[in-house]
This record gives sequence, C-alpha cells and structure tokens, in this order.
Amino acid sequence: MEKEILEQGLNLNRRKFLSRLSLGVGSAALGSLLIPDLFSGKSGAEEAMMAALPHFAPKAKRVIYLFQNGAPSQLESFDYKPLLQKSYGQDLPESIRKGQRLTGMTAGQDRFPLVGSYYDFQQYGESRAWISSLFPHTASIVDDICIVKSMHTEAINHDPALTFFQTGAQVGNRPSMGSWLSYGLGSENSNLPAFCVLLSRGKGNGQGVYSKLWSNGFLDATHQGVQFSNSEDPVLYLKDPESMSRSERRKMLDQIAAMNDLSYKEFNDPAISAKVQQYEMAFRMQTAVPEITDVSKEPDSIVKLYGPDCLVPGTYAANCLLARKLSESGVRFVQLYHQGWDQHGNLPNEMALQAKDVDQASAALITDLKQRGLLDETLVIWGGEFGRTNYCQGNIQVDNYGRDHHPRAFSIWMAGGGVKSGMVYGETDEFGYNIVENPVHVHDFQATVMNLMGIDHEKLIFKHLGRRYRLTDVSGHVIKDLIA
Amino acid sequence: MPTKNTLRNLLENCLFVWVGLSLILTLAPAQYQFPEIIQVTGRAHPLILHFPIVLLLLGLIFFFLPALQKNPEVKEIGEFTFLFGSNLAGITVIAGLILAREEYEGDALLLHQWAGLGVFLLSVLLYFFRAKKASIKTTLSLILAAGIVLTGHWGANLTHGDDFLLAPLKSEVQDLPTLAEAEVFRDMVNPILEAKCLSCHKEGKIKGELRLDHVEGIQKGGKTGPLFVAGDPEKSILFERIHLPVDDKKHMPPKNKAQLSDEEMMVLQEWIAQGGKFDQKVEDSNPESELFQLASLKFEKNKSYDFEAADQETIQELNNFYRLVTPLYPESPALLVSYYGIAAFDPESLKDLKDVKEQVVEINLNKMPLKEVDLEFLKDFPHLEKLSLNFTDIETKHLQAISEIPNLQDLAVSGNAFGEKDFQALENMTGLRKLFLWQKGISDSQKDQLSKSLETTEIDFGFDGSGITYELNPPSIKQDKVFFSDSLKIEITHPIPSTEIRYTLDGSEPDSLNSLIYTNPVWVNSSGKLRAKVFAEDWKGSNSSVTVYMKAGLSPEEYKLLTDPNEKYKAQGARTVFDKVKGKNNHTSGEWLGYSEKPFDIELKHDKSHKIKSLGLSLLYNESAYIFPPTRVQILALENGKWITLVDDHPKPSEKIEEIRSELLLYPIEDSNFEKIRVTVNPITSLPSWHAGAGARGWVFIDELLIN
Repeated sequence: MEKEILEQGLNLNRRKFLSRLSLGVGSAALGSLLIPDLFSGKSGAEEAMMAALPHFAPKAKRVIYLFQNGAPSQLESFDYKPLLQKSYGQDLPESIRKGQRLTGMTAGQDRFPLVGSYYDFQQYGESRAWISSLFPHTASIVDDICIVKSMHTEAINHDPALTFFQTGAQVGNRPSMGSWLSYGLGSENSNLPAFCVLLSRGKGNGQGVYSKLWSNGFLDATHQGVQFSNSEDPVLYLKDPESMSRSERRKMLDQIAAMNDLSYKEFNDPAISAKVQQYEMAFRMQTAVPEITDVSKEPDSIVKLYGPDCLVPGTYAANCLLARKLSESGVRFVQLYHQGWDQHGNLPNEMALQAKDVDQASAALITDLKQRGLLDETLVIWGGEFGRTNYCQGNIQVDNYGRDHHPRAFSIWMAGGGVKSGMVYGETDEFGYNIVENPVHVHDFQATVMNLMGIDHEKLIFKHLGRRYRLTDVSGHVIKDLIA
Repeated sequence: MPTKNTLRNLLENCLFVWVGLSLILTLAPAQYQFPEIIQVTGRAHPLILHFPIVLLLLGLIFFFLPALQKNPEVKEIGEFTFLFGSNLAGITVIAGLILAREEYEGDALLLHQWAGLGVFLLSVLLYFFRAKKASIKTTLSLILAAGIVLTGHWGANLTHGDDFLLAPLKSEVQDLPTLAEAEVFRDMVNPILEAKCLSCHKEGKIKGELRLDHVEGIQKGGKTGPLFVAGDPEKSILFERIHLPVDDKKHMPPKNKAQLSDEEMMVLQEWIAQGGKFDQKVEDSNPESELFQLASLKFEKNKSYDFEAADQETIQELNNFYRLVTPLYPESPALLVSYYGIAAFDPESLKDLKDVKEQVVEINLNKMPLKEVDLEFLKDFPHLEKLSLNFTDIETKHLQAISEIPNLQDLAVSGNAFGEKDFQALENMTGLRKLFLWQKGISDSQKDQLSKSLETTEIDFGFDGSGITYELNPPSIKQDKVFFSDSLKIEITHPIPSTEIRYTLDGSEPDSLNSLIYTNPVWVNSSGKLRAKVFAEDWKGSNSSVTVYMKAGLSPEEYKLLTDPNEKYKAQGARTVFDKVKGKNNHTSGEWLGYSEKPFDIELKHDKSHKIKSLGLSLLYNESAYIFPPTRVQILALENGKWITLVDDHPKPSEKIEEIRSELLLYPIEDSNFEKIRVTVNPITSLPSWHAGAGARGWVFIDELLIN
C-alpha cells in the first residue's frame, strides 16, 4: 500500500512536472513567434546586424573612388594660395609649422623655402571655386562637385597613409573600404563581384600599389577586390580551359554542385554553399565580363567625352570608362588607382603630365553618369592619400621645384550620390599649411561615405580575434555639411 | 489568537485615521504650504502606490472565489491582505494629496485625485461590509477593481505623458509633411518638446511654472521669465538651460531623463535665432542654414511610403541572378527593381513584377533589349517614381505606355534613337521632374521645343561631342608571327566601328584618299612593312601603326662574325641571325645580338644557285634604352676578287623617344654571283642632345639577317 501511495505521489509529481513543462514549452513557442529568427540557426549579433542593412535610406547606391596614388599637390590643384607666390623663397615661419614632423627626405634640409604654384588659378562656376589651369575639364564641372580643402590624415608616408585611407588603420590586414561595403551591402548584380579594382600608371614619379589595399582582411574572401587588368584576360582564371565548351563547363559545375550539396547536407558547413555560389558567379562572369569590357558599342561621343585615350586599355581614361560600365552594371564599389603623383622634384613638369592623364576622364565620368541619370545614386571621389608641403624640397626655381609629403591639409573632391554639389568645404591658412576651418579627418571622410551608403559606421562591425572592428576604428564623425 | 485580533483592530482603527486625514487634506486651502519633512512623505507617493494596488487586487480575489472562503484560515489571509491594502491605499492617498500641491494641477490631476480617494473609501466600505449580501459585495468589488486600474493609469499618464501605455501599438509610420508643407515649429520644434520636455511641463504637471503644451505657455515662459529672446539664442533661458553641464541642477532635461541630441539642440537654437515664430514654413528659412538642411533630409529624402509592404516571400522569389528586388532600406515598404545581364534577359519575367506593383518605386532596365517588349503593364504601378530605360531601343509605343504611369517623376531614356514622333510623345509627360535624354543628333530646335513643353522638368541632353575634334587612336594590327614561309594574314582593327582604316604596304604614310581601304584581312607573301591609319568624320586622322613581316629567307652556306657582340648580348652568336626566330620586343631576351663599341660586321657565303634579290636587317629600336637606328649600313660584295659597295645607307635618325619597336631595313640587291657578302651596321657613337644620355654611345640590336 505504502508503495502505491509513493508511486501515486511520484506519478503525481511526474504529471505535475510534465504539465508545468508544457507551460514552459508553450511560452517558448510564443516567444519564438515574437522573435522570428530565434530558432533559425543564424545566431549572433552579426546576422542580426546584416539583416538590418542598410541602416537607413541610402543616398548613394554605388561608389567610384578615383584614387590619385602618390598624393597630388593641393597647391597646384584646388587650394589657391597667392601668398606663397608672393613669398617665394622665404622660409616657412616656425609659428606655422608648429613642430610638424618631417619625412626623411627633407629632414636634412636647413631651409624650408616657400614656393607658390607655377600654374595660374581662376574661379569657376556658381561656387566660384578656385581651380588651377592644370584642371580645365574639372573646372567645367565644378558646380557638380564638392571640393573639400580641409582633409587631414595621421600618416606621413605613402604606405601607411594609403592603407589608412583604404582600411581605416595604418597597419595592414584590415578590410578595405570596398570590402566593408561589399560585406555590408552585398552585390547588386549577382553576375559581378561587388568590389572591383582598376590600376593605371602616369608618367610622374610613382609609388606602388599592392593587393593588400583591396584586401578583405578578416572578412570572408568573397569581399576581396577583384582586379581587372588590361590584358586579354581582364579577370584572371575566368576563362574555361582551351577546348572546354560552355555546356561542358555547365555540366561539370552541376556535378560539383551536386557533390557539394551532399557534403553540405552532411556537415552543414555554410562555407560549402558559399563555394557553390562562387562557382556559379564565376560561370556567369564569363559572359558578364566581356559584355562590360567591350568598348566598341560606346557611341563615339563617349570617346570624345573621355578622350581618345579611353580606347587604350590600361590608361586612366580607359579605367574611368570601365568604372562607369561596372558601376552602371551594379558593382557596389569600383576602386581606381592612378600612380605617379609623388612630385618630390620636377613638380611643374610632372604634375602637368599627371593632370593631363586624369583631368578629362575624371570630369567625363561625372558628365557621363549625369546624362544617364546615374549621378544621383553614384558617389564619385577623387583624391590622394595626403597633401604636399608649401615649401620646396631640393633645389628651388620658379618653374622647377618639388614638394614633400604633408598630412596636415590637403584637398579632395566628391560628386553625386547625395553629396552637396557646387560647394567648397573647409579652409586652410594663407600658407596652405594648417586647416583653419572645418577639418575633415580620414575617419570622418569614411564615416560620411558610409552614411551616404545608408550605413551607420558605428554599427557595421565585425568581431575578430576577440574584439570588434569597424572601418572607422574608434573615431569618425559624419560631416553632415557635406550631405545634400 | 489575541495578537492577530489586536493587529486587526489596530489596522481597522488606522483606516479611520487615514479617512480623516485625507478629508482634511482635500479640503485644506490651496495656499497652505507643508513643512519640508511632510513634503518628503508626499514624494514617496510614486513608491508606495504599488503596494495598495497589488494588495487590494489580491484581497479581491480572495473575496471573489467562494472556494477560498470555505477554508477559514485562507479566508482570514484574504481579509488581512485586503485590510493591509486598504491601509496602504489610505497612506498613498495622503501622500498623493501632499505631492499634488507641489507642482501638479489641471484636469488630469483632479481625475486622478478623486479616483484615488474614491478607491480608498470604497475599499474601506467593502472591508466593513464584507459579510453582507453577496450581490452587493460583487458589485462593489467590480467597481473597486476597475477603479484601481483606472486610477493607476491616470496617475501614470501624469508622470509619463498621455497615451504612454498604448503608444507602441500605434502605427510608427507618421504622415510626414513634404518639405513644401513643413513648418519649423509644428514639424521640427514641437516634436522635440513633446518627446523631451512635455512630461514635466504640461497641463497637470507644470514644473517651474512652465507649460510647453500650448503656444501661450511657450510664449509666457516660466518662473524665471520668458523662455527665449526671439532672434538671440544666447540670451535665451532655454538655450542656457539645455547647454548647462548635465550635473548642474538647472540643466534641462534633468540628468536622469532622456537628453537632447546635438541635432535637437541645433533645431531649438536655429528656431530661436530665426525669430522663434510659430507659423514659419521651413521653406522660408535660409536654405544654407543647418535647420533647412536637416529639414530637407527629414522631409524630402527620407520620404516615407505609407503603402503596405509586400510579402517577404514574394520579394525573395522575385530575386534571382538577373534581377534584384530590394527594399529602399530594411523597414521601407518601397521596392527598387534592377535588371542585370543582357544575356539572361527574359521579357516574360517583367510580368512577375505585377505581384509587387503597389510597392515598386524604381525600375532599372538599362541596356535590356525592350524593342519588342510591351510596357503597357507599367501603368498599373501606382507608386513607380523612377524608370531607367537607357539604351533599350524603345520607341513611340513604349513612350506612350510610359506616359500613362500615374506617378512617374524621373525618366532616363538616354541612348535611344528617338525621332519626331517620339519627341511628341515626350512632350506630353508634363509631370516629370527629371528627364535624361542624351542621344546623338537632337537638334537645337528639338531641344527648345521640348524644354518649352516640359517647363517644370529638368532635362539633361548630355554631351554630344559635336564641334570637338580629337585625333583618333592608331589602329591595332594583329599577325600571328613575323616570319612566314608562304603567306601571312594581317588583321587591322579599331575600337570605334565607324572609322575607315587605310593602309600601305610600301612603307609610305597612308592617306585618306588614295591608300588602300581595309575591309578584310590582308594576305602578304613577301617581306615588307605595313602602315595603317584610321580616319573618321569629325575626327583627325590617327598616327600610323606599323608592322613588319618577313619572309623567311635562305640560309647561307657559311658565315662568320668579324666583330664580337657585347659580352652581355651575344645570344647564340652568329647563328642567331639566321635562326628564323623573331626576337621579342626586349633586348635582354637572349634573342638579340647587341653592339655598341664595335659595329656589327658579318661575312657570308651563299648557295650560288639562288639569286639574291634582297637583304633585310631585323633590328630593335628603343630610344629610352639607348638603342637607336644605326648611323650607317654598308653591304659589300666580293666580285671577281674585288669588294664592291652594294648599299651604303644612313637610316633616318630618331628625333624623340618612342615606344620600343621592331624595325626591318630592307635593301633590294641587283643580283649576281657574288662570292661573298659583307654587312656592316654601325651603332650611333654619340646620342643626340635631346636625349637624357646625350653624348654617350648608343646601341644596335639585331636578331635576323634575311636573304631572299
């Protein structure tokens, strides 16, 4: 009897326990109704964040970054300083330099003689912006662009400064801006990568570019910049091997996909399905890329717009045209690099050659996007990694001088994609050495670009090796004044 | 159980004390100020009030459930609970009455006050008549329960603001005015006041004697004076208070409340600076001001769409490798549609978009072949605002269909060949905001006519390049090899298809009148040089492109180099020049013999059964690497024991640095039975003054000697 009582008690407990448990299960089920992704397996803040991108309505859908590698002189382009011409040969006052460090190239100089622009400046457009005679085409579109004269950076040498501009940190191994945007926003066109890179080289003294600048860093390799070259194979390893037909390739991919699918079912590793996607994209790129790189269908007014150089593969003009074609086809971020802007000497001569390379095509890109109704949604950026000193490096002559690296103030311009047009932002002192109004740090610039793309730069983060990373590191403010 | 009864008695007695006190406080004159210690009790009201709510409701449950009444002990617990609750209700009412004197007034307060008092008195009644008729008890209980809930709710409204409770249920999408309609105070300033200030400065809770819930209150200001000085933010109390350090007692909003953002402070400041008007339109403020910029962001760009979002699954199904369908941003119901990849374009797939016709605001079909596609269906897209149809071969019928889209604002139709009829169709689209119409051959009169018809439309006719003449790029020449045995195919191409390519085979400059016109690949069967140029209307003719091709010749029976090549560039020695392998355009490739100090000098003997017709020298020129045309080429022949000169040539010297290139110097030879032939090629001894290495010795590089 006692045993029965005990059992009954136990049963009762079990029943009670189970019925209580059902309550728990019920409430969990209710919870899952309220939070749809609770049991979907996509755990972690990262997935939640990805689902919420862009963070707000973007103004720009795509970016074309015309990087002027080597640092073009702001004093011969957009920052007009008549005082420097008047004070030719005089020493830079210490009150202006304020102990700014020097590079190894001028540290040995016992004098820092000021030197003004060899080229004349004029005011253009409704914004009355000053632009040097080296950039006549840019001057003609001045009311479509926003010149920022108050950029400043932390690095004083090319590699760290470039890396800083591209990745938000001076050391390597961080994802590039294009990779971050590819990661955050993905590709618009699933037949092309979201981040493409185009290189060209001018006749001036050059600095190298290297693939770490368009590296995906710790992000997934799908976000790496894909370099288009000017050879017969614009994208390497894309072509089928000789004598393999497209249908054979299709068959092969289907077989591989079937096998990958099997192992995906077994291991559930998302990397496997990512791989299948990549194979598929490469297959589709085989038709998409020739469509893009074929310039023969461009009307000849386009060739006149960009200049005949745009027909010579590998030139800056050709890359600008290609950039438009890529961007128009939904590539999120097209990164150009034009080398040869490092004028430590022979500046007037080399700068003229460099400007000739880029001026017409850069302006053409703006006009071309505009006439297609694309400028509103495409952000174009033109600029280098830092500026150049207002004093001469090496021997000084009115028509032959050089300028060293200068991180404290330099000029870039932006256009389209929600940036105010016909504006000059920021001001430097009359020596063109320090910023006196509205400074824009590289991180501010990056935060602003991301804002234009609809991303809160503080929220696009990636956890790696135990800490959270973002493009703007731990700083950066959106410059609202630049946003239309 | 005496203790229990004692306690009960005590509590019951207390009830009457509370009733009395609360009646006194209710009737006390408004001017009467309490001592500070009592004020502290008053401020405890928000803390204490939770106890009576819980205890009274709990007690009511005991009263209600007859099952619980049966057990006397349980019944007693219920009665005690209710008694405690009733007591605490009394204390709460008293505290509330004290607090109400501090800073609250208005209808909302009165409602809460009388309801609270009612709840307390009702609870007392119910307690003492708990043993009476069940029906009375039930009615009273129900009234009490409702009273407790309502009193609590009204009290919460006093602290948190009206509709605090139900706010999350209300639609988040508010009807934002457009930029044209927006007013500075109504749409920018007031929302800030409502969100951050009103909970303390409004009817019912007028802290600092300041009311911000109506215009008069804002104009009047508070205890310390007017809120602002119109036009001068820095002299305004509002400005001062919001900018004080957060720890300052006078900082507003108080430390523990939601603070103003930078943007909100800016709005308040700008509003005061612009005169603090209550009816000013945003559009009337200075467009350069931050206020205007912010307003244009808020009201124009982030335009909210109030239609229903499409089903998530439908959107997902519409996305594939050639079509992107994506919301403007995650919460937006508006959809953007883009087509990519001409190869995969299927016109039928456009019909799928009907599933989201309510939501689509943008469609991009650039470059898709739409000539045969019917665009009629787009007229059913009520919210379609932007349509991009650049380079799509659309015609009049398409434009007519487009003109029926009810809400279209931006239309991009660049790169289509429109005729007169198409322009007429365009002229009817008066609702457009922007029109992108870049195409070849629009006349000025057509432009004028269209601009007149579409007065309010911003039209971009683009860049047509007329009047600008550039030099064409040289054509590119393609040949599989330089040496051939029978014949060789040469192809010439130019990236602009409309150009005319002309060429010569004799080395002379092609011209646009007499030279051969290139149509098909050229076949050559003897050594020579092809020059090609391109010409086109509105363009300057190109520079010429040159290529050499060499018919592989005879091999001499014997040959001997009389001078040794430079140590670094000796390739395979004399054999190199007869190996019929064309060197790459790189003098270090190991296929070239290089001479600088000495001339290239070779003696050879050939098979007399073949008559020599020509001798060719295949050279490399690369001025930047100091490799120049030879200054002198001599060909001597030994005839009847005597050396005679066949050729004594001074090739044209270089005048500037040119691209690295291959050159063929071809010399016809009047035949005969020469016993031996000697070829001497002299490198330049002193580079010209324009060269960076002026005065230095130059080089000659040779990779082949052709005997034909």
